[in-house]
Amino acid sequence: MLNNMFLKTLRDQRRSILYWGIGLIGMAVMMAAFYPTIKNMPSVNAYLQELPQNLKELFSMGGLTDYSSPVGYFSAELFSFMVPLLLLVFGVGFGANAIAGDEEKGTLGFLLANPVPRWRVVVDKFGVLLVSMLVLGMMFWAGMAVCVLGLNIDLSLLRLAEATFGAMLVALVFSSLAFMLGCVKGNKGMSMGIAGGLAVLTYFLNGLGGMVSALKDYRFLSPFYHYVEPNTLANGISPEHVLVLIGLTVVFFAISIPAFMRRDIAV
Amino acid sequence: MSQDAVIRTSGLTKYYGKQLGIDAVNLEVKPGEIFGYLGPNGAGKTTTIRTLLDFIRPTRGAATVFDLDSRQSSVEIHRRVGYLNGELALYNNMTGEDLLRYLGNLRGGLDWKYVNALAERFQCDLPRRIQGLSLGNKQKLGLIQAFMHQPELLILDEPTNGLDPLIQHEFYDLLTETKLAGRTVFLSSHILPEVEKVCDRVGIIRQGKLVTVETIETLKSHSVRKLEIHFAANVPKDKFVTIPGVRDIDIQNNVLTCTVVGSLDALVKASAQFVVVNIVSHEPSLEEIFMTYYEGANHAK
Repeated sequence: MLNNMFLKTLRDQRRSILYWGIGLIGMAVMMAAFYPTIKNMPSVNAYLQELPQNLKELFSMGGLTDYSSPVGYFSAELFSFMVPLLLLVFGVGFGANAIAGDEEKGTLGFLLANPVPRWRVVVDKFGVLLVSMLVLGMMFWAGMAVCVLGLNIDLSLLRLAEATFGAMLVALVFSSLAFMLGCVKGNKGMSMGIAGGLAVLTYFLNGLGGMVSALKDYRFLSPFYHYVEPNTLANGISPEHVLVLIGLTVVFFAISIPAFMRRDIAV
Repeated sequence: MSQDAVIRTSGLTKYYGKQLGIDAVNLEVKPGEIFGYLGPNGAGKTTTIRTLLDFIRPTRGAATVFDLDSRQSSVEIHRRVGYLNGELALYNNMTGEDLLRYLGNLRGGLDWKYVNALAERFQCDLPRRIQGLSLGNKQKLGLIQAFMHQPELLILDEPTNGLDPLIQHEFYDLLTETKLAGRTVFLSSHILPEVEKVCDRVGIIRQGKLVTVETIETLKSHSVRKLEIHFAANVPKDKFVTIPGVRDIDIQNNVLTCTVVGSLDALVKASAQFVVVNIVSHEPSLEEIFMTYYEGANHAK
């Protein structure tokens, strides 16, 4: 695990990935375990249907039609908020820490004193971000898959994978933003704050956009719009929305390299 | 080695925003010498070193290492340099051995026989986790990682930080061996005796400006020392006032105190006429050395 920077960074993340993965699986199991009970309580569904549409929009459940169906239940309980949130918190933390954290700790100095070009540091660390996100997504999906099969829940494992993929992508947008800010300025707290703050703002931009007509035309600016709108768990991936999320991530990554190569390192 | 200077800076200037780091530093470090870079904290020693390694970019001027431009060829320069940072921070979550293995892999492999020999010399416990190590033990690891690939040039920023005297001695020996092997050392320090002990030449930097570059012999001949000579009986002051280079003479209770510029020879010979009980010498502080250089500059005007 100490052969190169990529593996070493991944090695540093192994415990973190394991614990976050266990958390995600735990959440999947808990939510799935409640489903059979919810399914047999039509009153819950009736109650939720009576909630003001605005409130549902605000929490990205505007498309919620049938809470007692597996798609409705898991969309509302997991995919509308918790799964992207957890992935996002992990990713933004890692992204902000990747360059800026090492710089603030002072360990970047003797790393860069080795015959390693700076772009390579950026590429390797970003690679670890992608791999960690992928591993977490797969752990969550695997946990869900076991529950779906074990509890005989009527949910497509493919759709589940697609929805998880979408949550990973929206989390990656903000993670790579935090990563890029760390490359530009080397300030971990600032990177985390800006990326996290923008995540909250754009989450509510999308939610409010569903109920406030003045904001409706700006929803497309929110990465969450491109994540929530296609209702992936029901309909599968929507390529154009996915491309927007991937595109943003690629742009942030592409800016990271020259930004880090050009500036002074605080060490 | 064919080049006539391993490190060369010309007009190297660095501003951090409006704050001056270093101002028009012209340095030349020759192959096979131990060059001491002496100055108080915040004088610009680390700024110079970080520029050489391309961590920071000069505002004006340029630097070459092995005749390679510090900005264009930083990777090639890093390959041939061993570096120890001043404020050493290591990865805490691994053992010393893992750290060296990792850094070795980044350099394409290591001679572990040599690494283990270094670890033994410095009494460094490699299998221990870095987290629990004392400052001195971390510093040993820092030294090992700088020397372990036997680089042509060592750039060491305050290398004896936190080392106990025994290990310091071992380190000075290693420096001498490195020099004998024809390799070059650039060493920053704020401790004058250390620089006097190991270096061939010294560059003195103060407030971002390179004040002077001297050989150690010249530096010593300029140096100002405060001396206390304890005699068995009272001595006449007029026997001493005429000695060249001796100033501020004061005699009280059989003890003569004075300031000596340059050689002590004449004073010692004059004192030998009387019974000497003890001689106490106070090493000049860095600030005193600077003062002699400034006074020298003023006298010249």
